[in-house]
Amino acid sequence: MISPELAEFLESGVSTLVGTRDASLRPDGMRAIGFRVERDGSQATVFLPAGTLGSNLANLRDNGRIAVCFSRPIDHRSMQLKGRVLAITEANEADRAQVDRFRAAYAQHLAFVGIPVRVTERMAHWPCWAVRFEVESIFVQTPGPGAGQPLARAASDGAR
Amino acid sequence: MKPRLEDLGPCFQGVIPALIATCGGDGEPNVTYLSQVYLVDSRHVALSFQFFNKTKRNVDENPFATVILLNPLTLESWRLQLRYVHSEKEGPLFDTMATRIQVIASHTGMAGVFKLLSADVYEVLSLELMEGFLDPPDPVLDAEPPKVPAGPLTELRGLQTISERIARARNLDEVLNGTLTALDELFSFSNTMVLVPDESQRRLVTIASRGYGATGIGAEVAFGDGIIGMVAERRRMIRVAGFGTELRYGRAIRSRVVECGEQARLTSEIPLPGLADAQAQLALPMLAGEDLVGVLAVESRDPLCFDEWDEAFLQIVANQIAMGIERMQANDEEPELDVAGATPPPPVAPARAVRRFVFYENDDCVFVDGEYLVRNVPGKILWKLLKQLRAGGPCEFTNRELRLDPWLGLPPIKDNLESRLILLRKRLAEKCPDVRLVPVRRGRFALEIDCDIELVERASG
Repeated sequence: MISPELAEFLESGVSTLVGTRDASLRPDGMRAIGFRVERDGSQATVFLPAGTLGSNLANLRDNGRIAVCFSRPIDHRSMQLKGRVLAITEANEADRAQVDRFRAAYAQHLAFVGIPVRVTERMAHWPCWAVRFEVESIFVQTPGPGAGQPLARAASDGAR
Repeated sequence: MKPRLEDLGPCFQGVIPALIATCGGDGEPNVTYLSQVYLVDSRHVALSFQFFNKTKRNVDENPFATVILLNPLTLESWRLQLRYVHSEKEGPLFDTMATRIQVIASHTGMAGVFKLLSADVYEVLSLELMEGFLDPPDPVLDAEPPKVPAGPLTELRGLQTISERIARARNLDEVLNGTLTALDELFSFSNTMVLVPDESQRRLVTIASRGYGATGIGAEVAFGDGIIGMVAERRRMIRVAGFGTELRYGRAIRSRVVECGEQARLTSEIPLPGLADAQAQLALPMLAGEDLVGVLAVESRDPLCFDEWDEAFLQIVANQIAMGIERMQANDEEPELDVAGATPPPPVAPARAVRRFVFYENDDCVFVDGEYLVRNVPGKILWKLLKQLRAGGPCEFTNRELRLDPWLGLPPIKDNLESRLILLRKRLAEKCPDVRLVPVRRGRFALEIDCDIELVERASG
């Protein structure tokens, strides 16, 4: 599902948001602090800081529906993944190295648009939860023509 | 203490995009960015609806949403649970939100494409500070230099100073320069300008600026164009902050044109003064009764430079300037008793240079040595004076005689003559310092010339 080119973008430390909902369809959301494409691109893991969970973790345990939105601050290139949760675990030390790399890259992205690196570094990032999910669909969300379309359709429209 | 929505001030400035999560009727969550959240009142916020998207569709099916706002100063993070109430397609809230969007659209060449469809109002069901969002500050890395407290008394004293400068000013130039200097020195508003409507009442012309060097006097803006033109058209204050890359890009190109010395290519278009890297702009109408007297514009490189305090404070200053301009207008002729005999022309200094002035009749435009100088009423005034002087007439002139000359076409009331003369004087100082317009006393001025002049009239350029 996720091509190697897309994986590179999603793992590059761009701004990453997670959306969830509870049993009565009340939505919640939060910022994520790391992302990893798994297997052949059909699965992925997103890292959620324990300090800012709100109802998100409980929602994911309740019904497994997850949305993950990626956006590059400098040009607003944006993507959204929708999926179904496979496993929720506490992130381990190996994950931590990945979270740290993501955070450093994220701080660089934000520095391009004027947010000092030190400020980004203060955002809580550890401990965190690793949420592994199956990728069911991918949407292009860059503002402008094609926004909101499934990736495959947007790509063929772009080629026309 | 329970947090209040009004206390989230800087969160509503749109500097750091907010997050919005919604959920469709099918149970599929969606999450995306929001460029700005508007504070409506203590229990409501509004979101702009510009394009039909998943968020809008979801909210139509299921009215609940969660928004996470970030305070760009403190980085405090707030979770708001919302319920969609209704959409507004007109009224003050809609106008405020539409204006901001139109401003950015007109600055980026997307006027009409990019517009507000509705202001969507949400009830705030809960408001919660996300305690764990930030790690505690590091005593060394996050140490801040102590700030000098600026109490209300200091601010009031500063305002008093500005008010006094305006009240005591003897002419329009003193009103404008006195105010802009005080705004800079006392309040650090370092990049400011004042524009006044021209005789068509469809364009504004810059007659005073501070923080941009000598350039920019005479720059024009059509009513409705950009932030300043929109303020003139709507007669409402506009504040924008954190406007993105697009605006900075356009301004950077324009600055390069100026830096490369190709300004002459822009002929009669004098670029509006502006910081290439401005992050926040605030423009306020100067009103006297029903009349738009001008626009006061302030900008900054700091996206959070302006807030409600600045709006209120600068509107008071703008009102004072408006009254100062009105006062000068009502009283800019020399007193009857003071009509002394015209002073004889000063001894003619040996000519050092020849300056060639060309007047284009089709658009009342004056060029000096091939370079654009001034146009419209100020252009015609200069032409009249130069011709009169060359014909051996006196070198002193009165406002009254200008008003009585039908060729100049000054309107019978509110002719803004003083501001036209200031514009002419400043343009001469910048482009042709050999020719100077010098105030003698109220309602009377002299034209001083240190060069030979050549006058050419052409039907069109």
